Formats: sequence, structure tokens, C-alpha cells
Amino acid sequence: MSENPDVRGCVIPLSLHYNVTDHTWIMVGDDGLVTLGMTDIAQNLAGPLLHCKPKKPGSVRAKGRPIATVESSKWVGPVKTPISGEIVEINDVLTQDAATINRSPYKAGWIVKLRPSDLEEEMKLMVTGQEAVEAYRTKIEADDIQACDHVEGFEA
Amino acid sequence: MSDDFEEKKILVIQTHGIETPRRTYSPIFYAMASAAMEIETMIWFTMDGTNQLKKGEAEKIKLDPTSNVTLRTMLDQALESEVSLRVCHQSMALFNMTQDDLIDGVQILGATSIIDLSLEADHVMYF
Repeated sequence: MSENPDVRGCVIPLSLHYNVTDHTWIMVGDDGLVTLGMTDIAQNLAGPLLHCKPKKPGSVRAKGRPIATVESSKWVGPVKTPISGEIVEINDVLTQDAATINRSPYKAGWIVKLRPSDLEEEMKLMVTGQEAVEAYRTKIEADDIQACDHVEGFEA
Repeated sequence: MSDDFEEKKILVIQTHGIETPRRTYSPIFYAMASAAMEIETMIWFTMDGTNQLKKGEAEKIKLDPTSNVTLRTMLDQALESEVSLRVCHQSMALFNMTQDDLIDGVQILGATSIIDLSLEADHVMYF
């Protein structure tokens, strides 16, 4: 089985944890920090991103609160954190080139790193692995989300 | 500058409607940006801005012919973003509109309410 399966071309790496409703992913590092970003599905729905404005380091965010706003030519909205905690680092690359999220949503396009405050409990509300793939398959079909189109290249 | 805008309020006043399509998208877009920044945001539709809220009208307005995004898409996205959409009761008469003519999710308020809302807002954007 591929480590990066897809549904309608939308890539869903098995190693990450997802909030399917808000289209976000997290990865927990060896240092205990949580890296957070938008999914491939999210960047496709938004379209080519023009700006990404993360909250400042030091901001404390409760689960469900925005950690950034992103905007394309056709949409603007929040990126909501699935994990409570303090923002300790933001991805400066996105200030100059928000479309990095389109090209590499799971690697170079990460948005913030958090020091989590309730990780164990809040991760129970997320999905990972094949369960995540099936959850996304259900959502993509229910919402009739169009196929992900990686016109600017893609790094999974 | 702090980026914590909790408890701030912005009132967007839209006076342009379907006869000037290029003046319809941006106020909604700004309102969505404001809501995304956790600012309590409301659009007040008055004068010619009222007619875009009539059922079936916003669907006809599309700035980019290659896109599937219509003015109705923008209004729906604003509602999903928790932007409050409110319309001037008196202006509805200009277009012979009743409550039944309005798209779902829009609240009708009278002229005195706009004064209250303006005084309560931290900032008013007028278009």
C-alpha cells in the first residue's frame, strides 16, 4: 500500500493525523511540538493562494480557533487548529510565497508549530492512516469535491 | 500590532447591487476576511445593494466567466463564515421586495437599527 494514497487525486499521507471537517493535518515531532498545515483537499478548494497570515508566535490558541488566515483570488478564510496550544514557530516562507501550500501542503507548506496543551485527549478526535483515507473518501463523495488538480506541481 | 481581534466588531455597508457587478464581490470578500480574523462582522445591505438579496438574482452575477463562483456563491460563503447579512427594511420597498423574496439567512432591520449598529461597531466600511 502506498504511504501517500489518494482519493480523486487528493493525496492523504497515512502517517499524519487529520481533522477532516476543517481540512487540517498535524504531525507530532520528537520534540513534542505539533506541526500543523492544510490538507491537499483544502488547498485545492481554496485555489492558488495569494496570502497566508499566521498568528504571531506566543499566541495561545484553543482547539477550533484560527492559527492563520489564508486567501486566494476566490476565497478567504481561517485555518482552525485541531489542537490547543501555544504557537512557537511560523513558516516564514509563506509570507513571501503562500502558494508553497499549494505545491507542498504536507512538507514545505506547513503553517505553524504548536506546543500542545492537551494533545493526548484532542488527538483522539482526529483520524489517521487508512481510517483517515476512508473518512476523506466519504466526505469527498458527500460534498462532491472535484478532483485535486496539481497544476503547479506537487510534493507529497 | 496585536493580531488578537476578539470582541471587535466591523460593520460593512453595501449600497451597490446587481446593476454594478464589479462593486458587489469585494465588500463580501472583506467581510469574510474580517470574520476569518475572529472579528464579529456584519454586512448591511441598503439602497441599491438590496436587490442582490432577492432570490434568483445573485446567481446571475459572475465576474469571471471561466469560474463557477457567482455572487450567490459569495453570499453563501459569507453566511458559512458567520458573517451576519442584514437588509434595510425601507430599501426593500425600492425593489418591491417582501420577506418571501429574500434568500435564506438574511435578517430585516429598520433604519434606527443601522444607527445602533454603527455606534456599536469598532469600524464601519462603506461601499
